[in-house]
Amino acid sequence: CSEYQKALKNDDIAKKYELGISYYEQAQDGAKRPKAKYRKAIKLFEQILPQYRGKPQGEKLAFVYANSYYELEDYFLSGYQFERFTKAYPDSDRVEEAAFKSARSYYEGSPRYSLDQADTDKALDKLQLYFVTYPEGQFIEEANVMATELGQKLEKKAYEIAKQYHHTENYKPAIEAFDNYLVDYPGSSYREKAIYYKFESAYLLAINSYDYLVEERLLVAKSYLDNYFKYYQDGELSVKANELKADIEERLQEYS
Amino acid sequence: QDKELPPNSTKYTIGEINVTGTTSYNEQTVIAFTNLKTGEQIFIPGTKISKVLNKLWDLGLFSDINIYVTKITGDVVDLEIEIQELPELAETKIRGLKRKKKKEELIKENKLTAGKRVTENLITTTQNRIANSYKEEGYLNAKVKINTVKVEDTLPNSNKVLMVVDVDKGEKVKIDDIQFNGNEALSDAKLSKQLKKTKEKKFWRFWKRSKFIAEEYKSDKASLIKKYKEKGYRDARITNDTIIKKDDNSIVLELDVEEGNRYYFGNISFLGNSVYSDEQLKQIVNVQKGDVYNGTLLEKQVADPTKPDAVDLTNLYQNNGYLFSTINPVETRVYNDTIDFEIRISENKIAYFDHVTVTGNDKTNDNVIYRELRVKPGQKYSKSNVVRTIRELGQLGFFDPEVLEPQFKNVDPNSGTLDMVFPVVEKGSSQIELQGGYGGGGFVGTLGLSFNNFSIRNIFNKEAYKPLPMGDGQQLSVRAQASSFYETYSLSFSEPWLGGKKPVRLSASLSHTVQYFYNAQQRDTDRNRRFLITGGSLGLAKRLRVPDDFFTLSGAISFQHFNLQNYNTGLFTFGDGYSNNLALTVGLSRDNTATNPVFPTSGSQFSVTAKLSPPYSLWNGTDYEALNQQQEDGTLTAAEVDQEKFKWLEYYKIKFNGTWYNRLVGKFVLKTSAEYGFLGAYNSDRGVPPFERFFLGGDGLGGFSLDGRETIALRGYPNQSLVPIDRSSLSQATQNDGATIYNKYSLELRHPITLKPAASIYMLAFAEGGASYDGFRDFNPFQLNRSAGIGLRIFMPAFGLLGIDFGYGFDPIPGTTGSNGWETHFIIGQQF
Repeated sequence: CSEYQKALKNDDIAKKYELGISYYEQAQDGAKRPKAKYRKAIKLFEQILPQYRGKPQGEKLAFVYANSYYELEDYFLSGYQFERFTKAYPDSDRVEEAAFKSARSYYEGSPRYSLDQADTDKALDKLQLYFVTYPEGQFIEEANVMATELGQKLEKKAYEIAKQYHHTENYKPAIEAFDNYLVDYPGSSYREKAIYYKFESAYLLAINSYDYLVEERLLVAKSYLDNYFKYYQDGELSVKANELKADIEERLQEYS
Repeated sequence: QDKELPPNSTKYTIGEINVTGTTSYNEQTVIAFTNLKTGEQIFIPGTKISKVLNKLWDLGLFSDINIYVTKITGDVVDLEIEIQELPELAETKIRGLKRKKKKEELIKENKLTAGKRVTENLITTTQNRIANSYKEEGYLNAKVKINTVKVEDTLPNSNKVLMVVDVDKGEKVKIDDIQFNGNEALSDAKLSKQLKKTKEKKFWRFWKRSKFIAEEYKSDKASLIKKYKEKGYRDARITNDTIIKKDDNSIVLELDVEEGNRYYFGNISFLGNSVYSDEQLKQIVNVQKGDVYNGTLLEKQVADPTKPDAVDLTNLYQNNGYLFSTINPVETRVYNDTIDFEIRISENKIAYFDHVTVTGNDKTNDNVIYRELRVKPGQKYSKSNVVRTIRELGQLGFFDPEVLEPQFKNVDPNSGTLDMVFPVVEKGSSQIELQGGYGGGGFVGTLGLSFNNFSIRNIFNKEAYKPLPMGDGQQLSVRAQASSFYETYSLSFSEPWLGGKKPVRLSASLSHTVQYFYNAQQRDTDRNRRFLITGGSLGLAKRLRVPDDFFTLSGAISFQHFNLQNYNTGLFTFGDGYSNNLALTVGLSRDNTATNPVFPTSGSQFSVTAKLSPPYSLWNGTDYEALNQQQEDGTLTAAEVDQEKFKWLEYYKIKFNGTWYNRLVGKFVLKTSAEYGFLGAYNSDRGVPPFERFFLGGDGLGGFSLDGRETIALRGYPNQSLVPIDRSSLSQATQNDGATIYNKYSLELRHPITLKPAASIYMLAFAEGGASYDGFRDFNPFQLNRSAGIGLRIFMPAFGLLGIDFGYGFDPIPGTTGSNGWETHFIIGQQF
């Protein structure tokens, strides 16, 4: 019977505490197979957490418990445990670290852009809270990088959804969706594309319309195009835009 | 931080803190919980102390809490926290009930578990709840009494009680008689029919209870009045109703009814309508002047909440953007027995969708969901599009259809916009099949995997395996089956939106089968004698827009190569040789079933398919008549002729299938279906090949088929037993050959037991009939093999559909006499 097994079955909580902390510290100091050590520590901590709640060791225990999950990259649980820690021990020395790690856990849990972004929103909330609470905090740079990345993910999601309306030839919904996009995400990295594809949707809608609607709709498309050139004279898509501009002018000649 | 409470608050430092009273908690635990610390500064009176009191009360563990100041020395104060713990429940005993299970149920329902704190409130509510639950079941005389007894314990500070619940159900109270007074227009019998759940005791009505349940009696009375309203008695009411106790276990109900006058509809006018004319609206309301007044009908024509896709005034407006419209029928004039109505409409602004979002998709990619949405940004609001979106999302099979509920957000009548959110809940959509068994003379093992929400582009992406690349809505299935005398492998893939632009489904499949010769006498397989089939198919299917967008057009090319090596089957007269089956299949189908694909409750499915091989005999120059002649002469053997005929199989096959689903009363759904199939030859001398034929009877499970045969289910008969009835007298075909024509009709009544995502279960009763024929000469659509029976289906996402049916065949199997009798069928997969 190993020391670990004995402690696991023993009723002595002090023993469990000591052994758990020693596993945790070994893993932190770069012992071999750290993951197994964290797992063992978690098993021991789980048994004694309720008993230590309210005692002086409780604070350290709650932190290392959450941090063990964090080190194991089980971000779902570490996010929650760090959140609990920040609420239970608001006066702790390590509360800033816990707040950051809680946010980072949600950041790690945030899925690819094409899935539900509830965790992304949560991570952004947590980061925002961190920025407000610790404007001079030690993790501020990393937090900034994370927040930017998450923001861009949300932008990409909304852009791709709008773009899909364009791709599936639902031009009217595409125009509306790009409009919403430009309002909801001002200054996004997809801004040029959004303005361009809003124009292209209007253009494709116009040329596939009944004859009596074409002129009116082409004029609308042209106004969107003018708007594009206002911002992106030499944009990524300006070559294509110039081609379509010529085409629109040619078509409009037929109606004048 | 503590704040002082005026007027005479003083600041103290806490000295000692003591905990007294009855408590099983450690003193330190209590102090730690209060958060009071020695040396801390507090005000007395102050907010801190009252907060501590509240915090302790909130635990619900104590019957009394006091905080005393025991000593004041200078500005140091000693505190005493006195708490009286509530008694803890040691055990609950229930007396007066026989069944142990019922006792346990009562304990569970009322949460009378050991360790619970016993308060006066708990005792009273438990008492009432138990008594009421019996009253609901018709035990009007039920009495419940609860006593608590202190338990003596050796432990100090023990504070436990035993709860004794005495239940006296009393006799069940039945309704002896229901008397109606004052009714002329509707007879007593008609009125008691309206009391659906409140019935008189009758010896012949043993299936329905005659218990008196106050709650149901109340709703029954309302439906009685509703009946009067439907018949024009607008003012009908129950003036008095009395419950007369006849004896201890029976009562008499007496209802006094005042019918009032019978009314008729007068003029119906519309006010406020600008989009639709009076005539258009009148057509929908469909009430003429002089019709008997029917309040229920009129309400239904204005808005029928029971049917989301009903044809009524509200839906007319709701489906065309008028989300904010309101419609109110108002009685404007009542003269003699006639009522004039004015339908007041306020149309308001047209509403447009602004943001349309999907949430909760933690597996399925956005594009897979958004392409299915019929609700799009910038579009006019339409209720029917919302309803249809919900239905179609459910049909995808990736989400739990029972919890799909659209949410309206930021509804703004001023700007005329609204946001729509579709919250989805992902459900497991992969199936695994792993079986091993002893059958057909040897061990048979099967491994099948089917992934219904696969992502093929991530198949080499290691990151995506958690546990599998998912979310692109593609289907991939792999299946391998092997036994000592055959092996079969198959792979199929389908992508519902090829290119993502339009719903064009691409499907591809490959399969390979090897069958070895099995010597039944020696119980051994000979691996040198074998029969190989290799094939594949590639198809496209497109949802159409015309005539409506429930239609799908599909086309597929399939190829199969048969190769025989010293292997004689019933199919070929030759043992060495080959045959190719190249065919084009074209199909047109329509499917508007709703909502749950496992248990459709409405809609229909139709399909027509034609499978055609190229007409080789038109150009290959072979004279099949001459070949037949040479076979008769004996210059060529049957094997040589058949090899020539079957080099490339030539045939055409046409099938029709129609299925309707109708909701009957309650949750009963009737499924009606009819199907036909016909296999023909372009060249009568070349003849219909023995492939691609129809085999009727049994569970319809495909099993292991070499020859493109179609097994048609017909319950109540053994598998593939129903060959054409008078075959032996008309042709040389044996009982093992399939038919070229079949028809089948089926009626199935279904009732769900549960439609939870973990498992959907339903019962069914069926009556069906079908027959197969060798040609149009003997086709007789009324000469059917009939059967009827009952069954059960269980659908679990991980296993697919499983079921069992018991069917009675009324007609004899061809070649026997007397009805076939009972057959049991096990169903795997969706066959019926």
